[in-house]
Amino acid sequence: MTAIPLPHRFTSSVKKYAMPYVFIAVPVISLIVFLIIPMVVSLWWSFNDYSGLNSPKFVGLNNYVELLTKDKIFTKGLVNTTMFVLLGMSIGPTLGLLTALMLNQKVRFRSLFRTAYYLPVMTSLVVVSTIWLMLYNRNGLINSVLQTFGLAKVGWLSNPHVALISIVIASVWQGFGFETVVFLAALQSIPRELYEAAMIDGAGGGAQFRYITLPALRPVIVFVYIIGIIGSYQVFDQIYVMSSGGPVYSTTTIVYYLFSKFMDLRLGYASAIAYILFAILVVFSYLQLRFSRERA
Amino acid sequence: MTVHPKTFGYSFRRILLYVVLFGTSILMIVPFYWSVSTSLKLERFVYTSPPQWIPNPLVWVNYIHVLTRIPFPRYFANSVFVAVVVTLGHVFFDTLAAYSFAKLRFPGRDQIFFIMLLALMVPFQVNLIPLYKIMTLLHWNNTYLALIIPNLTSIFGIFLMRQFLMTIPNELLDAARIDGCSEFGVFRKVVMPLALPGVATLVIFTFMGTWNDFLWPRIVINSEKLFTLPVGLALLQMKNTSNQAQIMAGTVLTALPMIIVFLFMQRQFIEGMTAGALKE
Repeated sequence: MTAIPLPHRFTSSVKKYAMPYVFIAVPVISLIVFLIIPMVVSLWWSFNDYSGLNSPKFVGLNNYVELLTKDKIFTKGLVNTTMFVLLGMSIGPTLGLLTALMLNQKVRFRSLFRTAYYLPVMTSLVVVSTIWLMLYNRNGLINSVLQTFGLAKVGWLSNPHVALISIVIASVWQGFGFETVVFLAALQSIPRELYEAAMIDGAGGGAQFRYITLPALRPVIVFVYIIGIIGSYQVFDQIYVMSSGGPVYSTTTIVYYLFSKFMDLRLGYASAIAYILFAILVVFSYLQLRFSRERA
Repeated sequence: MTVHPKTFGYSFRRILLYVVLFGTSILMIVPFYWSVSTSLKLERFVYTSPPQWIPNPLVWVNYIHVLTRIPFPRYFANSVFVAVVVTLGHVFFDTLAAYSFAKLRFPGRDQIFFIMLLALMVPFQVNLIPLYKIMTLLHWNNTYLALIIPNLTSIFGIFLMRQFLMTIPNELLDAARIDGCSEFGVFRKVVMPLALPGVATLVIFTFMGTWNDFLWPRIVINSEKLFTLPVGLALLQMKNTSNQAQIMAGTVLTALPMIIVFLFMQRQFIEGMTAGALKE
């Protein structure tokens, strides 16, 4: 009987020290097996000619050199994706801020409007893209409305000069409600007294916006832009459903091109594309870190 | 704001405000309305000029087609099953790990957490292809395992729950420990109940993300029996045999569950969405 407490105390102290590790075991194993190992493998493959069927053949930086200097479609993909990000990021957050400012006033049905803006955000991109594909049809709703006003039909997704813009419009429609909601919450957290004090000092609406609202929103604006840029650079679902990268590669984006190279079984090449994307995103993540440091 | 109420300028601005709000809201709703309306039309009335706003005749044939000739009920069941299991996994594993990171002291804690935060920045595309290869090696391709196991936890979820659990006072946990609770007992009896509002956010994010996920299931699943709704819908879209009205029936069936969940849990949705942005 007297000997029993010792092993018991021993196991309980092991338990005590081991428990924190047991609690994080599944996420850590998952991180190693499904993220860190694949990341390293993918980096290795990016230096190889690899089809997934034969064994990898080391080619050094060839994939990167080919992508960045010879592959015209990839260059187009980089340009298209950057255009997509620039256009989307100049419209989306602006629209989000404007709607949030409107909803921040005393309005009836506020939650109803907010719901309307937010509804597409939680709808899958495949669903949204399928709906817009129909709206953009040559004989679809948008063109038939244009016709009733006596305007000419537009080849929304068939005209290479227009297709990317059409996809931007659908994507902004889908996503700006996120910005509305985030901005609205930020606006509502600005203390009312600030505005009251400004009014006593004789500051007009414009001055109040400039000197109170905008500075207060700054961290949220940085957050919204960085999250938005990082997400937009990875655009895929809309392209897959609405245009398959066409016509004539006018909507081929980085991830869509990666996907098509994966389907062509050029796994080494596709991995190099992934790392170029990663490099671009690292730059933006670094910017976020710098911006948020400046604040503190 | 400086304009005095009841003046002409004031009421003009109010009217303008409502016109813009209603106008933009209508632009948000019309595409949804149009997809529902199209799904209730006969194929030959889908593309008419002028557009037919109200289906005439109103028919259910497209839904019947999608539900009987195409395995949409099966896609639906797959989506529900995968989303529920993945969400349960997140609730348990993310919260447990978050508790460990937030409230327990152990060597290497901060270093491991820092690595996790770094990993948060890695875009999925970087590990996508080797991950596919790992699934092949494990013979998990074309199984539920491939959809579930790699997604059973998320760093984002751990991060979210850690932020939340940090606010729980340590005294409460110590009291439970003095009462003889094991660490897991503290987690189950004290931490979990207090974490419920945070869990609600986690559940919404995870369920929505899994329900709407496309790239991974598109790559890892080939057999129609295992398709989730977005993959099934994209396939329906690509098939030449399906018509627009049927596609819209499929679209409505895919979108509806999330919309219903959203309308019921709107507050949690909004709070969850804004939590990350405002706490940064």
